Amino acid sequence: MHTSPAKLLILIALSLVILVEGRTVLAFFGINIPPLETALIGLVIIATLVIWAIRPLRGSPTKSE
Amino acid sequence: MTALFVDEYPAEARLVKAAFLSSFIAFGIGALFGIIQALHRTDIFRFIDSIKYYTVLTGHGVFLVIAFTIFFLVGLYQWAVTDSLERGPVDIRFTWFWYGLMAIGSFLAAISILAGFLEQPPMVLGAELRANVLFTFYAPLEANPLYYIGLALFLVGTWLAGIDWFRTWWAWRDENPGERIPLRTFMVLTTMMMFFLGSVGVIVSILVFILPWSLEITESLNPLLTRTLFWFFGHMIVYFWLLPAYLLWYSVLPKLSGGRLFSDPLARVVFILFVLLSTPVGIHHQYMDPGIAEGFKFIAMTNTMFLLLPSFLTAFTVVASMEHGARQRGGEGRFNWLQALPWRNPAFTGMALAGLVFAFGGFTGIVNAGMNINYLVHNALWIPGHIHAQVGTATALTLMAGSYWLVPQLTGNRLVGRQVALFQVVLWFVGIVFMTNSMFRAGLVGVPRRTAEPQYQGFEYDVPVGSMGELNAQLALGGTLLFISAMLFLVLMLLTVFNNDSEPIVDGTLPPALSGPEDSPQVLDNLRLWFGIAFALVVLAYALPLAGIVAQSGLFGQDIPPFPVSSEAVMYLEFGLDYVGALVT
Ligand code: HEM
Ligand SMILES: [Cu+2]
Repeated sequence: MHTSPAKLLILIALSLVILVEGRTVLAFFGINIPPLETALIGLVIIATLVIWAIRPLRGSPTKSE
Repeated sequence: MTALFVDEYPAEARLVKAAFLSSFIAFGIGALFGIIQALHRTDIFRFIDSIKYYTVLTGHGVFLVIAFTIFFLVGLYQWAVTDSLERGPVDIRFTWFWYGLMAIGSFLAAISILAGFLEQPPMVLGAELRANVLFTFYAPLEANPLYYIGLALFLVGTWLAGIDWFRTWWAWRDENPGERIPLRTFMVLTTMMMFFLGSVGVIVSILVFILPWSLEITESLNPLLTRTLFWFFGHMIVYFWLLPAYLLWYSVLPKLSGGRLFSDPLARVVFILFVLLSTPVGIHHQYMDPGIAEGFKFIAMTNTMFLLLPSFLTAFTVVASMEHGARQRGGEGRFNWLQALPWRNPAFTGMALAGLVFAFGGFTGIVNAGMNINYLVHNALWIPGHIHAQVGTATALTLMAGSYWLVPQLTGNRLVGRQVALFQVVLWFVGIVFMTNSMFRAGLVGVPRRTAEPQYQGFEYDVPVGSMGELNAQLALGGTLLFISAMLFLVLMLLTVFNNDSEPIVDGTLPPALSGPEDSPQVLDNLRLWFGIAFALVVLAYALPLAGIVAQSGLFGQDIPPFPVSSEAVMYLEFGLDYVGALVT
């Protein structure tokens, strides 16, 4: 584990929040991301975070927090 | 570990529990109504008549921002006074008396609202029992007198609660001459001074004008006057919702972060600023009202901008205390200390996320408060967006998080489902951002609030990004997440209450501040002085506008009969509109 489950949960929540609000901010500059793509980006972010989090630490393969 | 609150003060703990119970019942019904609204107004799932939408909306407003918040406040404040003065009330029967008044009052108001769902509401006090007037009850919309009687009893109960806490403090002062007011008691007393001053408006409005008029003792009233008296109270009340959350942020959050409050004097200054400034700003809710001169609106706007100061002070003090705590726990670096905070603890995480949303929501409040830009968002869905970020999250989420810390100490039971609790507070955070983001965006293109069917024939909203369909879906999705989160919270509370044979794992002691009361100038504790200044500011801000309103159309207005809000009335109105429409086309 690269981080604790609690922090992973909060990181996922924060990235969803930044995604939703960030999309709104970008729209003010004429950059429009359609809903479907936004959802896809969200999924990719969540998947990346999860994979990063559960990837075993190098050197200490079994140690978890 | 010290003794639990329930072991030290069993009688007081019982009252706090009763207040929390009332609060949580109101929260449950309010949340149910919330999801109904979210699904109804977006036309995703409509299972009630659109006319009943206003009954639901009245219930949502009253149950959440009157009952849920204020019952929690009186419970929390009773805990704070007892725990920080280390003594109970002078006479606990009086304490139960005010709680009883509040409970009866909210029961009366609740049944008059809920009777609106009946096909044939019974006749009470000479009128049909119903109260579809929303929580602002603007005349000439009229509710059954029972609704106003209920509100009045509730307010009187809250007044007596404040008097009770002052009495407790006076008794403590006699026993401890020359000592500084303990911080939490200071916060309670200043909040109540603010409430005494600001609630005068709504009490006069109900008792002198609206109740007699609904009982047909007086024939007419002046709607602009009752409305202005409501908002005399209406901005103060938002701080009445917020200050319990502040009390938790200042006293409990630093401890949860592993440290101590940064500064006791700053905390006192913040609460005094709220006493001074929270009432003479109410007219900022009336920028669009004719009959109030622009100059007074400008003064209200200026005062409002000053109110940013205590919120910025709070952001500084609370974040500084959190950083101190994180460094005590071994956190290092410019931002890396954030990682050392106890994110696994739902009480901590809930409060921290609530604070984050509060900061964001505060900026939307600056938009509302600007006289010119207010015209863009007035009565648009933007406003419920702001409401849910502030009272709906800064307050509601902090209170839920605080319950995870406090309820085990009140019951002596271990919190059930810590991990679920963490998920619950995070879910609320995500849900609120989805829902309010949609509300803000919809509000900017003119989608109205307080409307069961905000779609019109032959007219499309000019949504710059995406579509109305997308905004609606996002609002309903956010609302659903919030509803699930609310239900999770209530289930966890219920399970905790019945988790009898367990030991709580909380430590209820609160460490002293880094810069303690000895660093606060003595004058900060001179409550008479601050109340006097606050009173003078209110007179300055309100004497002339009120005089102007009365001079224009009299204390009791001119021939303003009630407009009872019933299905028939709406039918007449629809008929009237059709008729006018036919005449015009
Ligand atoms: C279960 C979560 C909730 C949902 C789904 C929800 C949904 C809604 C919706 C859709 C509206 C707009 C109705 C309209 O203008 O037509 C609304 C209004 C409002 N909500 Fe909520 N809400 C929730 C929780 C809360 C909480 C926790 C609070 C406060 C503690 C709150 C306070 C309010 C207030 C004051 C209004 C304005 C009422 C009025 O215009 O008279 N809501 N809510
Ligand atoms: Cu206000």
